Amino acid sequence: MLIEIAKGMAHTLRVMLRKPITVQWPEEQKPVAPRHRGRHILHRYDNGMEKCIGCELCAAACPVGCIYVGAAENDPANPVSPGERYAERYEINLLRCIYCGYCAEACPTEAITLGPRFELADYRKERLVATKEDLLEAWPNMAQSRRSPSDHGAGADQTGRASEVPGLSPRVAWEDGIDSSASPRPGEYGIPSHVPRVISPDEAEPR
Amino acid sequence: MGEHKLLTEHFGTEGLQTLAVYERVGGYQGLREALSRFTPETLIDEVKASGLRGRGGAGFPTGTKWGFLPKDVFPRYLCCNADESEPGCFKDRALIDENPHQLIEGLLIAAYALQVNTAFIYIRGEYHDQRLLLERCVEEARAAGHIGANVLGSGFSCDVIVHGGAGAYICGEETALIDSLEGYRGQPRLKPPFPALKGLYGKPTVVNNVETLSNLPHIVQRGGAWFKQLGTEKSAGTRLFCCSGHINRPGTYEIAMGTPIRELLEEECGGIWKDRSIKAFQPGGGSMQVLLPEHLDLPLDMDAVAQAGSSLGAGAMVFMDETTCMVNVSMRLVDFYHHESCGKCAPCREGTYFESDLMHRLEAGHLTLEELHTLADICDNMNGKCFCPLGDTATWFVMSAFKAFRDEFEAHCGAGACPVRTASAQLVTA
Amino acid sequence: MAADTTPPAAPEDGLVGITIDGRTARVAKGTLVTDASAILGIHIPVYCAHPKMDPVAVCRMCLVHVEKMPKLQPACATPVSEGMVVSTERADVAKTREGVLEFLLLNHPLDCPVCDRGGECDLQDFAFRYGPQASRFPITEKVHFNKAVPLSDRIELDQERCILCWRCTRYYDEITGEKELVLQERGVHTLVNTFEGKPLTSAFQGNLPEICPVGALTNRKYRFKARPWDLQRTKGVCPTCSYGCNINIDSRDFEIKRFASRDNPLVDDMWLCDRGRDSGPSWNNVERIRRPVLRDATGSREVSVSEAVAAAARSLREVRERHGPSSIAVLGSAENTNEEIWLLQRLARTALETPHLDHQLEAFPDIGPEEHALGIAEIEQCAAVIVLGDEPEREAPVLTLRLFKAQTKRGVAIRRVVAQATRSLVGELPAEGLIGLIADETNREHATALAGELSRSHQVRRMTVTRGVNGRGAKDLGMLPNSGPGYTAVDQAGKAGRHILEASAAGLITGLVVMGGSVWSASVTPLLERVAAALEVLVVIDTRPGPLSRAATVLIPGHAIFEKGGTVTNMEGRVQRVRPALPPATQTPSETRILSALAAELGAAGWPGDHLLINRELVTAVPAYARAGNGGRALFEAAVRA
Repeated sequence: MLIEIAKGMAHTLRVMLRKPITVQWPEEQKPVAPRHRGRHILHRYDNGMEKCIGCELCAAACPVGCIYVGAAENDPANPVSPGERYAERYEINLLRCIYCGYCAEACPTEAITLGPRFELADYRKERLVATKEDLLEAWPNMAQSRRSPSDHGAGADQTGRASEVPGLSPRVAWEDGIDSSASPRPGEYGIPSHVPRVISPDEAEPR
Repeated sequence: MGEHKLLTEHFGTEGLQTLAVYERVGGYQGLREALSRFTPETLIDEVKASGLRGRGGAGFPTGTKWGFLPKDVFPRYLCCNADESEPGCFKDRALIDENPHQLIEGLLIAAYALQVNTAFIYIRGEYHDQRLLLERCVEEARAAGHIGANVLGSGFSCDVIVHGGAGAYICGEETALIDSLEGYRGQPRLKPPFPALKGLYGKPTVVNNVETLSNLPHIVQRGGAWFKQLGTEKSAGTRLFCCSGHINRPGTYEIAMGTPIRELLEEECGGIWKDRSIKAFQPGGGSMQVLLPEHLDLPLDMDAVAQAGSSLGAGAMVFMDETTCMVNVSMRLVDFYHHESCGKCAPCREGTYFESDLMHRLEAGHLTLEELHTLADICDNMNGKCFCPLGDTATWFVMSAFKAFRDEFEAHCGAGACPVRTASAQLVTA
Repeated sequence: MAADTTPPAAPEDGLVGITIDGRTARVAKGTLVTDASAILGIHIPVYCAHPKMDPVAVCRMCLVHVEKMPKLQPACATPVSEGMVVSTERADVAKTREGVLEFLLLNHPLDCPVCDRGGECDLQDFAFRYGPQASRFPITEKVHFNKAVPLSDRIELDQERCILCWRCTRYYDEITGEKELVLQERGVHTLVNTFEGKPLTSAFQGNLPEICPVGALTNRKYRFKARPWDLQRTKGVCPTCSYGCNINIDSRDFEIKRFASRDNPLVDDMWLCDRGRDSGPSWNNVERIRRPVLRDATGSREVSVSEAVAAAARSLREVRERHGPSSIAVLGSAENTNEEIWLLQRLARTALETPHLDHQLEAFPDIGPEEHALGIAEIEQCAAVIVLGDEPEREAPVLTLRLFKAQTKRGVAIRRVVAQATRSLVGELPAEGLIGLIADETNREHATALAGELSRSHQVRRMTVTRGVNGRGAKDLGMLPNSGPGYTAVDQAGKAGRHILEASAAGLITGLVVMGGSVWSASVTPLLERVAAALEVLVVIDTRPGPLSRAATVLIPGHAIFEKGGTVTNMEGRVQRVRPALPPATQTPSETRILSALAAELGAAGWPGDHLLINRELVTAVPAYARAGNGGRALFEAAVRA
């Protein structure tokens, strides 16, 4: 019995003198593994052009559907990326992302990779919808002003987007009704107010 | 097998290109006889009995082809295919150059047999002088009453129009010829319907080769039975062979069908030049498969040559001596098809491009053995899969040469230069 | 299996038997092997073949093995013959497919990530399914052509991506006859271009990107807007005219990105006009009415729907009590669905008891169903078709393609004559067979007169191109002052649209209910200003603001046609479903529910508000609609007799 206690104490004393494995994060930072899959990075070519061409393959490969890409046509005189197409909007809902790395695997131009950053916390869900400006590699002489996530983009379910905010899309689902004076009261005209539009049983056919 | 000069009988006669001289040597007698002695039906039967087969390459019996026309659909059209573009072929040019009225007479006889009132001669764009000559002869014949309304007072009317092509090999294919004649891109049409049912302007149309038509005056004058006893059982009559390559006397020779090829080479062409030996030869023109010296004893007979794995085609004979690099020849021929592919179907359009790219690298000695097999596979993917025979034939010479001279092809792989040319350079200097 | 493949004696049913990969079917004579394989559920890949065009067999992708044939045969150009045995599974067929795909990809750029077609490209799909997976060709040797060549403001051409299937040139040859696209050069340098480099002017260009099997021809208005997997697809009917072309509404982010054609051989034959196709995305930018508004002398205020409906009912009741029922009029529009029209005319006739109702401004005296007897697909069965003026084809452009098809493929004589044509101007007509007579609504009188003359010697059927997506439905269901539902007689004929407005301006009508009036109000703005000034009560239910909505005493927002369910009737009487493709832009209920609530407030409780229940009610009342069902033609007795 005593021998066992002594053995245990000996081990404790031995270990006590070792440097602890834990680090005092966040005061103290620990290097992450080179292949760590943290927050995504959108890369640029050496000349500053964006590698992303807005092909949406990352969005197609994403198993949780957290990526939103809105493509647009490049101005040949002042292109954003090589080729005809670039990502006008690029958003990732970091709250939904599972950091699987499929987006990086699907990317034909190696524009997106998962980076080392893992400290993702905020008081507002909306701020965890990363926009293109958040994700792009910093580059000298390039404007980096953050735009708010788009109306229907990756964070549509997170932003708690108010209905009929001026400047946003004209279309709202009427479950969003804030203005109770305009929306029908529950039961009014026999309409349940919790569904975005009226679907009667007869209409429940595949669309 | 003696020499039978039929089409070339009067070649060289001074002024044969004029109507007067042609008529003096018996010209337009065939047309007169056809109009007076035959009805269109009996004339077709006579041509059937003669065993005349098309001289354009496919060797289809002419009388049978005429018989495919529907009985009561008019107007019908007749086209003479003078778009002779096969590499190594120049017999039609000789026939037009030397005896244009013979062709016009044959055309009119065919027109009478088929009851055609408008006949066309589609001549390739490069035969500019020949086109002018034909146009002059047609005018001459028209002035003499041989062409136009009421031909030779017979009540039969036929106009002849000479139309120049723009220089596309594919327009030698009959449906492409018809498209080109109508003013469209010269590209083959989907068959069926065959031209005999729906051809030029959607009407029944017959397309015949220059040499085929030039035979007709003689068949009419001397009878189908006489014509049939010339040549062999299945290949009746004589044929013009365009002999070229490494021989002492290149040229066009008229020979009765069935004569051994060796006789043509030794007696007419004067043997291989510079006392060298023959390495290979290609009967039928650029499309056809290569044959080896052991095939020289074959008779000039469509079926016999076909059994040896090639074809008499349009009657070209290209002889190659021992210094010839078969890879180089293949490359040149593939380049031709790559240049002439009309672009209609994918295997031919892209396949000839791929083939040409590989052949160029092979000839320069930069191909790997694996890529050589790719070449064989590409040819297999093209052969028989194309819309018209152009794409198929683009592979025939290469494949036959690859089979017969496999060592030579493999020696090129990775050699960095053409080994045959290096060797033959030594042979020549030695 | 072997016993199945050789039936001892073919039954005399006019069909021919075919076996493909061991499955047998009996198909009509002349059916192509590709079509027979589709019947049997066997996939044969094709690029050049198109169901609406003649086969050319240029892509060689569909080569299959046919027993007793020495070479592989193109399935797209080989008609089925009795006892034919086809194999698509043999090794040589698979190798040929690999070979052809290798050839097609040889000079095809590696563009997929930026190509607009990526995701719905036949070359991608077939290469994935049948392709060789690896290339043996050095990528540096590809032949290059021009990329992103604008052919017009609608179409962009990438000559490099083109696989030369000829569908676009054949489309212009066979479907529209305009021949704007041609092939140039030859061999591997062959390319598609416009004739003499002129921009395209056709009114049917939008079909080109749809028939292109790859991304060579793309729609500039849809360029890079979405990937196919982003799109939510809803079946719908093109809202631009009364032809009733079937479409797929593709939306993303609650915006319409494009209209795609949905083949209905009886109506559109899969072709859409550019006017209709382009109308889709323009709906995203339309200004909308969003909230119910009450307006009186003191000003206007936003209210809830129930308040608005109650206020409308109250003021309409007051007008009726003071001036009598015929001082109230009801105006609908040709853009309302059948269900809305049904409730609206019922509201006018039974709840408000007024004879003054209409859906358009012009009066149509002696209206009858014989004006709409000719069906769109029946044009092909006519011996001759007379088109009065250019208005019908301007109104419904896709009609031009149907007429061209009838002319070129069926040999129908098409006579395009001036609108005022008389019998002598039409000229000789075939003695036998049906004569079609097509006019639009402005030429109704001429058409009636001409039809009367012609019917003495010929069998004549008329087609009238109505205005608005549901102009025909509004007439069928009696949204007319002189005709009840199903062209029944009415006790007392009321005032037609323009007369209603004039009477309102003159003070004879003091209460007006307008639903969807923004469609026709633009043409009569000065009159409407006088109307607005004179009216006591103006109830407006509409989607878009206009002169009427700005003057309305009660304004209730409506749902656009993409935001609600219902049926619309095209000009030949085909009753077709529309479905909500987008959530509504307003928080108010749909028009049908508002109308039933208004009726309830007016004392007629129990009217259905759901469009399917209303539809059930209207098909009971109008048997022609019951017979038509969903997608069939509503044929009325008089028309059947004609």
